[in-house]
Parts: sequence; structure tokens; C-alpha cells
Amino acid sequence: MAKRIVIIGGGAAGIGAAGAARGTDRDAEITVYTEYEDAAYSPCGIPYVHGGEIPDFERLFLGTKQQYAEQGIDIRYQTAVRAIDPRGKNVRVGNGPPVPYDALVIATGWDYGRPDVPGADLAGIYYMKNIREAMRWHDVLDGVRRAVVLEAQPLGMEMVTALCHRGIETHLVDPSPWALSMATDPDIVAPVQESWEEMGARLHFNTKLEAILGDEAGRVRAVATTDGEIPCDLVVVCTHKEPRTDLGRAAGLAVGSAGGFVVDETMATSVTGVWAAGDCAEIPHGVSNVPIQGLSGSHAYAQGKVAGVNAAGGRRAYQPVYVPWAMVAGKWMIGGVSFSETLATALGIPFVVGQAQGISRARYFPDVKPVKVKLLAEPDRLRLIGAQMVGGEGIKERADFLAMAVRKGITLHDLATMENVYSPPIGALNEPIAMAAQDALARLGS
Amino acid sequence: MARGRVSFARRLRELSEKQLMIAAQRNVAARYGTPPPPPPRGAERLWQRVYVPAYHRLPWKLRATVMHAMPGSHRRTWHRPDEGSGPAV
Repeated sequence: MAKRIVIIGGGAAGIGAAGAARGTDRDAEITVYTEYEDAAYSPCGIPYVHGGEIPDFERLFLGTKQQYAEQGIDIRYQTAVRAIDPRGKNVRVGNGPPVPYDALVIATGWDYGRPDVPGADLAGIYYMKNIREAMRWHDVLDGVRRAVVLEAQPLGMEMVTALCHRGIETHLVDPSPWALSMATDPDIVAPVQESWEEMGARLHFNTKLEAILGDEAGRVRAVATTDGEIPCDLVVVCTHKEPRTDLGRAAGLAVGSAGGFVVDETMATSVTGVWAAGDCAEIPHGVSNVPIQGLSGSHAYAQGKVAGVNAAGGRRAYQPVYVPWAMVAGKWMIGGVSFSETLATALGIPFVVGQAQGISRARYFPDVKPVKVKLLAEPDRLRLIGAQMVGGEGIKERADFLAMAVRKGITLHDLATMENVYSPPIGALNEPIAMAAQDALARLGS
Repeated sequence: MARGRVSFARRLRELSEKQLMIAAQRNVAARYGTPPPPPPRGAERLWQRVYVPAYHRLPWKLRATVMHAMPGSHRRTWHRPDEGSGPAV
């Protein structure tokens, strides 16, 4: 009898799990339940459609419904799972009979933390996530004159940039003193903030939202903040990611201190026969060993593949994460990995710092861009524990490289003497990472 | 931000992280001459004046032990591919 694999969620983790399960067991019956009209698209691309860099939403889909059907992956659209019964090994879908499974993967993802203020149910509040809603809001944006973006998290930072591209008067409201303050330091994010202001954005840091104010028709007309009232036609909510764990918790799955399902390296949960992947699960950080949640789409997809292989009877392990990140924000690219000075200071982790201002290409080559690199290392053996960068190009590749450097315990001495590509159109004589490591060693007198 | 049921461990961790981050932001902002977070008000003052200094006085090993004791994925099996040259801290 074919193995019955049920997957709850049709995002990156759910579709990753389905594809990997199919690759592991050609005969398995694989059923994916999603409450939405679509599966497997890139929500991270939505700001770039809004901003005009991507011409349409259709390009964000990873595959067509027909392609999944041809792979033998039965996706049930607009079908919400109501309950999980791990003892009976079945799920409840709608009002139908229990659907049995041999292996279950939960990939229910996340929701934005909803503003806990008066007016949070008014019309004109956009939670940017679902692609169909994004299509609808895309047309609405044509008539928007003033927008408020709530919080400078990654999607919020991209939305500020996108709305400025659309010529909308954009206000960013964030309770922290600078953008993305969990991951960056003020010196690194300063060029991004300056470029937003050059693009016309108004930045309200150290500012708490107190209420969303509506007109007589029940539509947003302003937000009330600790910095005063800001008139607007639209509020874009880009707050932190809240893991969606209600279904699993009701079935007895353990949830950890980061709010996600507790999993091991195989993505197995605390309940036999049930795996979890993506933003509903929490993963240990490779440096601190503290579990974290709310990672990127690439993390979700990779975790889904691990869960899918194991659910189908194979054997694959995931690794603790070091979280390389990067994005385009304002006129800059910004990125990093693991610890910033702020986060290391908060946790009381000792560190040494080196930084350098370099360039992305040969100094004489057209369109050469600045690249600033800051490295953090532990003071004993000088192993890298974090990095941040801001520049005109080449940030993503450096973030990926430095994530591997942190993972492998690479030291400032290693980086100071690293070899680098020199090719005028793509690489300068001096690599900014090496320069930052040399700066750290010079400060230490070694 | 409104949410569903939150465990005690998560609530404690969130409160702790938030207050430690505010103190760190103030420290780093002073280092770089940028605007700091606003001064603490109400119950936040107690966290900033008592909890944050107490946390930083504890040795890292004790802090790590407390963090490890929190419920979470870190307490389950995670093999590292290269045990001999692992990361710092």
C-alpha cells in the first residue's frame, strides 16, 4: 500500500516537502492542503512588483497547478485543515470524514503580529503576504497619496523603497531607534535611511503606534503615534513574523521559547509521525545555540525538503542556522550574518570589531560602487561571529560567504590573508572583507 | 501587537530580549553618536535598572545554562558536521 503523506501548507516549506517526498518515494500518495487559492509563489517578490521592478505577479509563481498535478502532488486549494489527531493519525478537513495519514508535515508558516491598537480593523490596512490580496492592493496603490509602513523589518524596508518608487508619500513608523535594529548597527543602516529621505520618505523612529484613525466610512485616514498624528490613506503592516502554531499546539506538539514548533535535525516534532518546517518551526542558532524563528524563504524551502525526505522514509538532516541576510533598501544593498554589535552587546557576548570602506570593482571601472564591511569576532581565538555590510553591489555573495566563515570557525587571521579575485569589472584589488579583518587585527596590535 | 496564547517561557524570553536590546541600542547609539531609544518609563525602569545590570554581571556560562534550560529545539538532537572546528561562543 502506498504511503500517505499529508502536508499542511502550500508555501515554500510545504511545497519543498512535497517535492522532496516525491523524490524519495515515487509511489507515495502526497496531498497538500492550503487555505489559499494558490501555492508555491514568492511573497518576497511582492514589494518589487509594487515598486515596478517586476512587471507582473505571475512571474512570482514557482510552478503551475498543472505541473504539480503531473508530479503526482495533489494540492487541495482553499481547503483548510481544522484539526490534527496524532493518535488516530488523521486530519480533519472541512466537514468531511477524517483523512488518514502515515506521515504528516506541518508547514503552516506565519502571520504578521497584528497591531494591538484601536482601529486595527479599519479598511485600508494592508498585510502584505498573500499574492491575491497583493494583486488587489496593487491597483489600490494607484490612488494612494500617503502611506504609513509599520516597522522597519525586512519586508517593511522593501515596501518603503517600493512605495517611494511609486511616488507615494511614505512614512515609516518604528518603535526602535533605527531600521532593522535586531540585525544592524546604526552606522551600517545610516546610508539606507539617508537614501530613503532623499527618495522622499519620512522616517519616524523611536515612535510607537497608538491608534489607527478612521473616517465616517470606516476607512483609514491617519495613524496616531507618540510622534503625533500622520494623515494617510493606507497602512502597510510589516511587523514581526508570528509562527502559526494553533493547529499543532491543539494536537499536543511542543512549542519552544521562540514560539515555533520544537524540532530536531530531521525536522521531527515532539509527536511521532509529525514533522514541521518553515516559519512555524524554531531552529537553534549556530553561534549562540538559542532557538530562533522567522527566517527566510530559502530557509523554509530547505527545511521543507528535509522534512519531506524524512516523512517519506529517507534520512536527511538540517543544520543549526547562521542566518545570512541581504536586501535592497533605498539606494543601497545591505546585509550581514549572525551578530551585530547591538545584538552581541545585548546578549553580553564579548567581541572585537574591524571595519573598512572598500569598493566593488577596480577604482577606474565605470559604475564602481562603495562596499562597507564590519566584522565581529570573539576576542579569544578571533573566530568570526558576525558581519554587516552596506554597499552598491556584491553584498549578497559576501553575506553567504561570511555565513559559511562563521559556521566553519574562520578567524580574522584567515580573512586578513584571504585570496580574492581581481578583475576590473567585478572585483577590486583589495577585498573589503580582508581590509576589515586587517583593520581589526591592527586595532588589536597583532 | 495582539496574539494568541503565549507560553510563560516565550513571554519571559521576549521581555528579557526587548529590555536587553533597548540597553544595547543605547550603548551602541552613544558609540556612534546616533539617537538613542527614549528613556525608560514605568515598569521599564525596573527592568533597565535591575534586570539588565544583573544579567550582565552573570558569567556567560551561567547565562548559557539558563538559556539552555528554556524549552526549545536546541534541546533536541542537532549534530554538527565538523565538531572539531565549530563556531565561537
